[in-house]
Amino acid sequence: MPIASELRNLLRSGVHRMGELEFQTNVSNHFCIVTHWQDAGRVNVPGFGGLARHDGPSAARDLACRTEDGQYRFNKGQTNLQRGWMMVLENEEDLRQALDLFYPAGVGVFLAHRNDTLEVENLRDKLQRQSGMYRLAGKISDAGAQQLVRKICGPDHACARRILWQIDAHTPLDDSAASRFSGIPAPLAENEAIPLLCREACNFFVEECRKAAQEEMQDQTS
Amino acid sequence: MPIAPKPHSALLIVGHGSTGNPDSSAPCFEHADAIRRRGLFAEVHCCFWKEEPSMREAFYMIDSAEVYVVPDFISEGYFTQDVIPRELQLTGPTTIIRGKTFHYCLPVGSHPSMTRLILRRAREVAPDADPAQTTLIITGHGTNLNPNSAQAIRDQVSRIAASGAGYAAVLDAYMEEPPFIAGWDLMAPTTQVIVVPFFIADGLHSYQDIPVLLGIEKETGAAASQRDIFRHNPHHLRDKLLYYSSAIGTERLLADVILDQVADFDRMHKSALT
Ligand code: SF4
Repeated sequence: MPIASELRNLLRSGVHRMGELEFQTNVSNHFCIVTHWQDAGRVNVPGFGGLARHDGPSAARDLACRTEDGQYRFNKGQTNLQRGWMMVLENEEDLRQALDLFYPAGVGVFLAHRNDTLEVENLRDKLQRQSGMYRLAGKISDAGAQQLVRKICGPDHACARRILWQIDAHTPLDDSAASRFSGIPAPLAENEAIPLLCREACNFFVEECRKAAQEEMQDQTS
Repeated sequence: MPIAPKPHSALLIVGHGSTGNPDSSAPCFEHADAIRRRGLFAEVHCCFWKEEPSMREAFYMIDSAEVYVVPDFISEGYFTQDVIPRELQLTGPTTIIRGKTFHYCLPVGSHPSMTRLILRRAREVAPDADPAQTTLIITGHGTNLNPNSAQAIRDQVSRIAASGAGYAAVLDAYMEEPPFIAGWDLMAPTTQVIVVPFFIADGLHSYQDIPVLLGIEKETGAAASQRDIFRHNPHHLRDKLLYYSSAIGTERLLADVILDQVADFDRMHKSALT
């Protein structure tokens, strides 16, 4: 089934959240109104509670691109999405386009995972394919990588994604709040949200691996 | 040349992207939007090496069974020949991956129609400049890392020189190899000079590094005010009148070049398949 149709069915089944986005399907005759979940209540206030209105999906890239104080959000899984806007969408294709800008490939990755067709990429495979100065990232020890997961992943560190990968095929992640996180924000039930999934370590994680590998090498030589 | 609609195919534009600067991927998204509005493809997506979605994630965004992949890169090189094929698992011009057929097109920068874009950009930036009294300089990075990028610029210079556009001189110049762009005033035989950066997006090179080399800015850093740098033409510098344009990849018509690469792919490979 096309991704947009799957999305429509998910909304009908009661899904109303993805990451920091809230979907409302019961406002006027609109197919869906998307806001930051903390702004959801303002949609029903006269004048939309001061939310800036965007019709159609095209503003999603700009909204997803920068935090409220102007920082570039290159990792879209970060829980620092700006507030103060609402997006009015009239069909499932527009919703799909908007979600692919807020959470790139997030819906498709979720559907593939649900259908058991997602190819997850373990950390060692990801690091091996780096180029230039990022090749060094592959030198990080398993212990160093496990430590980084605890240090930078999961909602305690502002990442809303559930990690699917392991260090390698034989080395699962150590148990931690980050490795246990389901990708669904508390206190929602599983059938209320599309979980954000991390099928491969992000470029921020790779960059941190590079720094940690460098420190490990310096420690060994000193 | 206009391409026939492909209502059952997806277009996947592959860019480099950046973890530090959203302007790097902005043109990719803009070109994707422009093509989407024309309704030629069932779906149009972007993916990146240094941004999300990654090339491997992009596979899961696509419904269509046929996918045209167009690299938003300035020339053939390490990325188009090694990284993109490896990441997308492409083994030739056409590859079937888990039930989807991927067609791998050439990068936008190597298409002959880029010549049209450079000439248009030059006219836009200096509408009143008479070509016969003007030198057009196309500039790029120029390193030994990718000799093809300098070759792509030299190809454009030859094409423009042969195009009858009528410029007094058409020259290539580079940041890091001779002929150096820093010597623009010495190489230009005319008073009026237009400089077009042959990059896929505006970034540190076009905002900061090249303006410093041209003498528009004193030093790199806060002085260069991003897109403002392109708004103060002409610059009276070194006894010349200098017009400086933004990166060629930000040109709106680059969307047409993406489509040209798809059409060329069909012409070169598809007839052999059917
Ligand atoms: S690697 Fe960690 S920080 Fe990066 S997206 Fe995945 S879970 Fe989040």
